[in-house]
Amino acid sequence: MSFSAVLGAWIAAFLTLGIFSYLYRDNPFYKIAEHVFVGVSAAYVAAISFWTQIYPNLFGRLFPKDGPLAFTGLEFDFNHEFNILYLFPMLLGVMMLISVFQQFNWMARWGIAYTVAIAAGLKAFGYLNSNVLNQVKASSVDIFSGSLPFFSLNGDSVFNNIVLVVGTLSALMYFYFSKEQTGNFGRFTRLGIYFLMVSFGASFGFAVMGRISLLVGRFNDLIEYSSADYNYATLGVLVFIIVTLGFWSFQNPEQKEN
Amino acid sequence: MKFLEDIILKLGAVDRRVIFILIGLAVLIPLLTPISLPVRETPTTVKFYDGIDNIPKNSKVLVSFDYGPSTRPEIHPMNVGVLRHMLRNGHQIYISCLWPDGIYMALDALEEITNEVNPDNVSTFDIKEYEDYILLGYRPGAEAVIKGLASDLRKVYTVDANGNFIDDIEMMDGIKNLNDFAYIYSGSAGYPGTFEWVKYGGDPTGVPMSSGTTSVQVNEVIPYVQTGQLIGLLAGMPGAAEYEKLINVPGIAIQGMAAQSFAHIVIVLFIVFGNLAFFLKQRRDRKY
Repeated sequence: MSFSAVLGAWIAAFLTLGIFSYLYRDNPFYKIAEHVFVGVSAAYVAAISFWTQIYPNLFGRLFPKDGPLAFTGLEFDFNHEFNILYLFPMLLGVMMLISVFQQFNWMARWGIAYTVAIAAGLKAFGYLNSNVLNQVKASSVDIFSGSLPFFSLNGDSVFNNIVLVVGTLSALMYFYFSKEQTGNFGRFTRLGIYFLMVSFGASFGFAVMGRISLLVGRFNDLIEYSSADYNYATLGVLVFIIVTLGFWSFQNPEQKEN
Repeated sequence: MKFLEDIILKLGAVDRRVIFILIGLAVLIPLLTPISLPVRETPTTVKFYDGIDNIPKNSKVLVSFDYGPSTRPEIHPMNVGVLRHMLRNGHQIYISCLWPDGIYMALDALEEITNEVNPDNVSTFDIKEYEDYILLGYRPGAEAVIKGLASDLRKVYTVDANGNFIDDIEMMDGIKNLNDFAYIYSGSAGYPGTFEWVKYGGDPTGVPMSSGTTSVQVNEVIPYVQTGQLIGLLAGMPGAAEYEKLINVPGIAIQGMAAQSFAHIVIVLFIVFGNLAFFLKQRRDRKY
């Protein structure tokens, strides 16, 4: 096993167990792991965004090889042709960065306005087409279709279609507030609440399952790092954290109940 | 009876750290001493498998790695399985990433498959870059990237992940946009991911697509399966385990399912005890 792999395992074990140590209580190990995570993530995204997007796609189009701006001494050869339109995104980007200076912070609004408008336009179309129209279409089922069995656990059936229609309508009606939810209407909307509760229950179950999956993943790695190949990284870090936390708790008894 | 009630009340008031330890042990023990539990395929996973199996042989397919190390345990086994399945059918795989660390997940998956050997020590998939797969890499921009791929892939990807010009790569001949792919698959852990691929990739172009998602997203994504916008879905680690069973390559997801099951039993027990303790305490408070 190479030195870098072993070192990586020790760092990974330390950061993982540092995060887990929060389950005991807030402590310096957790803080270290948290700050490292945030710092590394931000730096990584900034670097990769520059080298994979701004460098080839922006500079490559504004300063192509033998392009009109070659006299500036800047030339980036990515097989692009000069495209002056790319000056605008660069300008908006620079304006957003300049906003760190108090007197120029108004400049950021242009870039933000452009981004918000583009995002709104993109999302409006996407949501309307994929989430609204397609879902409404799929909810419009032939309830008593003669070709369907009355009941099926897996596929389409008359029973499933009835549940689909009643569930959709009653849940939607629950959010209709222009009529007091009493009498038969109230009973119908109450049915909608039950459908929503089943949905929330399923979401909770899936969320728990997801978290356990992540725990399985971390444990798998910790088990791997506890081998002799990695110089017992997990065990070493675990003992170090437990001993240090124990000592720290002993030194700071007033924080024990936090 | 009072003795039993006292025990339930104590269990209901147990320190949260005890629960953490018990869940930790419920996950750890099955991983240390593997227990084999049956895995039964769900209809959405079977649909997913059939969807990929029915792609005409030797097609060009787009696989997107839209996740990072934080969600690797759920999505990675799916993506490795999907690569195996597609390579078996002779497809050429074009790998994109909407997440910055997706590229390393893709490299890991490719390495895993490249190093895979049969019992007779022969490589299972003798894959070669620029012949069997191409790693296009990461581009920031989320849905804007997908929109770009749908209209003109070469405007989004000038160079691949190795820095080679896309125009110079033979495998890219004939690929102009998403319409030139026979299938799209996204292994997604959130934003940007499945939702964006459906809205700006699959739906506008009509190219069939499917996805593997984290458990947390399943409830929101599953309507796309019912409408046919997605051809099946791999739902979290259980979905990955079912898929591993269908492609007949048991892996890390199947191993993890025993730990999942035991952890769920512990959680359900504590939910039951917690509720019982709550109602018992309410009754006792009323009495006195």
